[in-house]
Amino acid sequence: MINFEHCIRCTICVENCPVFRVNADFPGPKQAGPDAQRFRMEKEKSVDKWVLLCSQCKRCNMACPCGVYPAEIILQAQQRYGLQHPRTLAHLLFANNYYLSALGSLTAPVANKVASTKIGKKIFHAMGITTYIPFPKFSFKTMKNEKKKKSKAVKKVAFFYGCFINFYRPDIGRKIIRLLESFNVDVVLPEQWCCGLPALGNGNLAIARYFAQKNAASLSNYIDAGYDVVYTCTSCGLCLLHDYPGILEISLAKKITENTYDLHEYIIGLIDDGYIEPQFTKVKRKIAYHIPCHLRALGIGYPAAKIMAMIPGLEYEIFDDTCCGLNGSYGFKKTNEETAVQLGTRAVSLIKKTGAENIMADCGSCRMQLGGLSGMDALDPAEIICESLGITEGK
Amino acid sequence: MGLIQHDVIIIGAGVAGLTAGSILVEKGYNVALIAKGEPTACLSTGCIDICSLDHDPLHGVSHLPDEHPYHLVSRAVIRESIEKFKESMVQMGFPYTGSPESNRYVLSALGTFKTTCLVPSTMAAAPQDEKDDLHIITFSGLKDFYPSYITARRKNASFSTYDASASTTMGLATNFEREDFLEKFLSWLEKLNIQEGKIAFPAVLGLESAATITQKIEERLRCKVFEIPTIPPSMPGRRLFNALKDYFRKKGGMIYWSWPVSGVEKTKKIIEAVTTPSEGRPKSLNAKVFILASGSFVGGGLTARRDTIVENIFNLPVFVPGQRDNWFDSDYFSLNHGIGKAGIIVDSSFRPKEADWENVFVCGGILAHTDVLKNGCGHGMALATGYAVAASCMGYIK
Ligand SMILES: Cc1cc2nc3c(=O)[nH]c(=O)nc-3n(C[C@H](O)[C@H](O)[C@H](O)COP(=O)(O)OP(=O)(O)OC[C@H]3O[C@@H](n4cnc5c(N)ncnc54)[C@H](O)[C@@H]3O)c2cc1C
Ligand code: SF4
Ligand code: SF4
Repeated sequence: MINFEHCIRCTICVENCPVFRVNADFPGPKQAGPDAQRFRMEKEKSVDKWVLLCSQCKRCNMACPCGVYPAEIILQAQQRYGLQHPRTLAHLLFANNYYLSALGSLTAPVANKVASTKIGKKIFHAMGITTYIPFPKFSFKTMKNEKKKKSKAVKKVAFFYGCFINFYRPDIGRKIIRLLESFNVDVVLPEQWCCGLPALGNGNLAIARYFAQKNAASLSNYIDAGYDVVYTCTSCGLCLLHDYPGILEISLAKKITENTYDLHEYIIGLIDDGYIEPQFTKVKRKIAYHIPCHLRALGIGYPAAKIMAMIPGLEYEIFDDTCCGLNGSYGFKKTNEETAVQLGTRAVSLIKKTGAENIMADCGSCRMQLGGLSGMDALDPAEIICESLGITEGK
Repeated sequence: MGLIQHDVIIIGAGVAGLTAGSILVEKGYNVALIAKGEPTACLSTGCIDICSLDHDPLHGVSHLPDEHPYHLVSRAVIRESIEKFKESMVQMGFPYTGSPESNRYVLSALGTFKTTCLVPSTMAAAPQDEKDDLHIITFSGLKDFYPSYITARRKNASFSTYDASASTTMGLATNFEREDFLEKFLSWLEKLNIQEGKIAFPAVLGLESAATITQKIEERLRCKVFEIPTIPPSMPGRRLFNALKDYFRKKGGMIYWSWPVSGVEKTKKIIEAVTTPSEGRPKSLNAKVFILASGSFVGGGLTARRDTIVENIFNLPVFVPGQRDNWFDSDYFSLNHGIGKAGIIVDSSFRPKEADWENVFVCGGILAHTDVLKNGCGHGMALATGYAVAASCMGYIK
């Protein structure tokens, strides 16, 4: 998909790049992508360290009228750079975020305490990790130890819940399971690992591929047994659907992409097929719906917005021009803190202008950033749907 | 799985597609707009050219060659489309000045006058002759704007430079949206003690709140302020696009980004669905009607091959202005490149001629014989034909 020769230098991608807007050290997608690509030689060591400043939000891809996909050119340059240069501690840590979080969850009460103390913060800083918003709280009870209910439902879902839900907000994960069960869908939790995106974003193709292969093998078994894969985090989704067949070259990718759905896309499908007729009840909230960059990039429209439109009483306004700035682990790195804070503050100030009471976003990291910076409640769309249908975490 | 049936699918997020879309959503239709990228509006000055051939644009329109698509819409429709556009821009906080009865000028970054018709309120005070005294403010490091081009042409113009610690139009516009920045800037500006004439800026006075920011500066300095459009990245062009897009969505329209249409599903004379490349299960969207608003060459609707020109989605017949020799004038800066006439010929209901489809309508820059550059009719024509196509669609769906 490397079409750098198609670039007509119109600069539309540059206007859309959130990082370029606030960080003068980053030359923007046009220069970092198609322009620099002409000078990247197979045999020469890469020197363009600034490619690491790209957050992989993919906004440039979506804006380019000529099908250049600058973000993909940059992603490859990031992997090359990562391979040829010693990695910083923060890059290594976040590439392996999955193991770290697993450890954090096992030791949740202690880990959370440490993370919130002064010393804990100092340790984070020394590792190149920021603390401008609180590091998410680990949850002791992850999704992995969720018990499976017996079911004879026709529709079967293998739920790819992702790291955020698993380690930090399993309560949302459990609500999603209850929600799908209330739609007469059989839900299983397949064995799963980090989708691989954090490793990719930290220039570590090998680790990303390792996770991806394990996930693909596990999910593939369920697909063979008649399950659809449903994800809730839009960044996991983009990685499964876009990077598995793309840069990660996973052999089972085709099967995965053919059978994987966004949660809300899946629910709309159930409604569309007449499989369910949910009776939404009134939800009195005024919501700013922050569209995660990666949801936009998925090219499936905004399915959660379609469901929100069916909920009586709910007022919502869509924001899809602002990047929250956190981009998963990107904003937690000290080097990107200023960029992340500036972008997040901008997004929050636009949200506050509307008088919204809550923020809603499909992606946990967007919620963490916007909730943290605004002090407002940041909700998952599934939480609103559950509220409207009277579904709780328990039963 | 086909996600919920749409009444209308519009291909292209340009001025034409968004105009048609907004009208249809307001009439209660279920509309999805799909786009592979951002439109040419983002590259434009944000000013609406209706027809630059005559001081009275509507008069200019009546002198266009018979085959020009403007003749498919009545003057009343042109007026209505402009009225509708102005109303929606007021709602979006980005009002326009001007009327389709008379053209006006904006000052270009080269110091020349550009003829256009409607201008954003941030350019309303642009000089209409050589008389006004101008004081231009520029920003250190800004590479896309050189005030000396203007001072070389105009005797009564001078300039000052502000250090805003940003050197791109986007970076500057972002800064202007911050109140602390604006305040600091205003106190610097007050110290310049400009007594006479107008203050001119490259078009970087904010993104979402440009109209208010311009007004704020005017009130504080007690003199007229106006923006000068820059080369892309053009902020006024982006503001126009954002306002049209947000209006469409506010009214209930849905936009699918990352959706380059690459194929169609059809039965007999009906297009059932459009499809986009997918790594997984086929991605398609179905509707009763399809509006093709994919623009000309830059927008991505047309592609020129060695000896022919193709329409990229429905493979509609394209009017090609003769052999390749006729496509380009020998003078690069000429307004008479034959290729400006290339595009889709439509009938009076905006259906493509000599094509098999009943439920496809075409509008905007992809139409044949527009000659946008020569006739100075870019956004105006997109507005008028977008408006007219919406009416044709409603007639068809009924
Ligand atoms: C550099 C430049 C400057 C200009 N300046 C001005 C100006 O100052 N004033 C003025 O009045 N006019 C100006 N014009 C002309 C004006 O922009 C256009 O004539 C007019 O806006 C046409 O709009 P449109 O909606 O038909 O198409 P476009 O703006 O071309 O938009 C086409 C849309 O279709 C989408 N698309 C194309 N192919 C596909 C596909 N296969 N699948 C999905 N989506 C697709 C594109 O991504 C895009 O969103 C300018 C034009 C250019 C090129
Ligand atoms: S992916 Fe995002 S951050 Fe990276 S260059 Fe593109 S727009 Fe900028
Ligand atoms: S938007 Fe596409 S064509 Fe335009 S400068 Fe960027 S990469 Fe090049």
